[in-house]
Amino acid sequence: MKLRTGEYFIQEVFRSLRRNNWMSFASIGTVAVSLFVLGVFLILVLNMNRMASTLESQVQISVYLEEDLSRQQRIDLQSNIEKMQGIDTVKFVDKDEAKARLSERLGDQKYLLEALGDKNPLPDAFELTVAQPDMVETAAKAIERMDGVESAKYGQDVVEHLFDITRLMRIFGLVLMLLLAGATIFIISNTIRLTVFARRKEIAIMKYVGATDWFIRWPFLMEGIVLGCIGGILSAIALRSFYAAMAAKIYSTLAFFPLMPQYPFMNYVTVAIILSGMVIGAIGSAFSLKRFLEV
Amino acid sequence: MIQMREVCKTYDTGVVALSHVNVDIQKGEFVFVVGPSGAGKSTFIKMLFREELPTEGRLLVNGHDVVEMDRSEVPYLRRELGVIFQDYRLLPDKTVFENVAFAMQVIEAPRRLMQRSVNSVLDVVGLRDKYRSFPSQLSGGEQQRVAIARAIVNNPSIVIADEPTGNLDPETSWDIMDIFKRINRAGTTIVMATHDRNIVDTMKKRVIAIEDGRIVRDQQRGGYGYEA
Repeated sequence: MKLRTGEYFIQEVFRSLRRNNWMSFASIGTVAVSLFVLGVFLILVLNMNRMASTLESQVQISVYLEEDLSRQQRIDLQSNIEKMQGIDTVKFVDKDEAKARLSERLGDQKYLLEALGDKNPLPDAFELTVAQPDMVETAAKAIERMDGVESAKYGQDVVEHLFDITRLMRIFGLVLMLLLAGATIFIISNTIRLTVFARRKEIAIMKYVGATDWFIRWPFLMEGIVLGCIGGILSAIALRSFYAAMAAKIYSTLAFFPLMPQYPFMNYVTVAIILSGMVIGAIGSAFSLKRFLEV
Repeated sequence: MIQMREVCKTYDTGVVALSHVNVDIQKGEFVFVVGPSGAGKSTFIKMLFREELPTEGRLLVNGHDVVEMDRSEVPYLRRELGVIFQDYRLLPDKTVFENVAFAMQVIEAPRRLMQRSVNSVLDVVGLRDKYRSFPSQLSGGEQQRVAIARAIVNNPSIVIADEPTGNLDPETSWDIMDIFKRINRAGTTIVMATHDRNIVDTMKKRVIAIEDGRIVRDQQRGGYGYEA
């Protein structure tokens, strides 16, 4: 494309954005809202995935001991566990320490524990780290069969649950995405159709004097892309503030939550959202051109 | 230049617009296409710039096989043609200069040529001093002259005109015909559909008469009406 032609195209795009200002506004709004909803889903799914894999990679097993274990039994048990293959470290956490930790973790909601008075319902436990994540399951099962062990817990069931939820969200997100993309494409293609209609005389003349189909199409395609791009930028701005606010909220209450750090994560999301906007815009105008620009 | 062999055109509605038309038009000719409304004149004209396609037969325009050609080649055929309509078809929000330059712009002609070419065709049609006017500020004859300028600015080898004087009074029509004569004298082939008996009779050019989709007369230095 020649530079001068590019200039002409850009002029045409802004001319028609001005001419159809209400429709343009509606298109940009629809793109922005749709992409925002999509972006929220994207952020949630990615974060839950991350949470699941963080938990999965935590090679820790909590071994809860039976209440009435003697000191000697406990020491024997510990050395038995230490002798097992693949176990890295074994640390004893007595019930008082467990309670102190829980209280710290509850933060503002410490009063829940205070309600218990001096009673401590928590068991003594060992905290095990395992050399490799894939050993966690077999080790935990073997330990659970040992005498004096109440139960051996590891992140797996939580992880499975999380994966189930993310899978569901992904499907739901995909369906939602298709619907929203469809609606957006429809709105954009209608906007472009208005432009095509407003310029039908001009298009006819262009054809008579020998403009190529692509020369005629470009300004419309670019108009769609510009609409999608502006919508994408607006929604990216909204998503960034949304994520910043969400992160602030979560860090203030659940400090240990493995949230995706804002940067560079949100930069990727921004790029993805703006690109999707442009692609949707291009598809939208391609639709109307296919139907209304047959030479 | 233009060659029609057994060309037929039947519209989807079943209307037969042209049947078994054979015509040869040489370079530099000036040809009137005459006949009653609905006889097939317009179809004849429209096929030349591939607005309509023959349903049967062969049609060569300036060496292009109009029937067989790929859709993507159509713009390049049209760049060798200049098309003029009864209703001028100017862009109301562009000035005279811009309307003419538009034809160069959309085929991505070099900008340095634009100023010169546009001015020179505006000279040909006698509108150099009105280049900044908008179509609404011009008379019908002036608007048609802008349309002619636009049609010839890319140096077409054939100018195709569909009733170019249909909306104009006789005196203005003659001004337009003078311009066509001048363009023709410079070597451009002209094919013009018209209803104007006076013009056809006076100009004494080749006349192709179409009736009910058939060529009923093809005569050098002919007149509008039937001659014994």
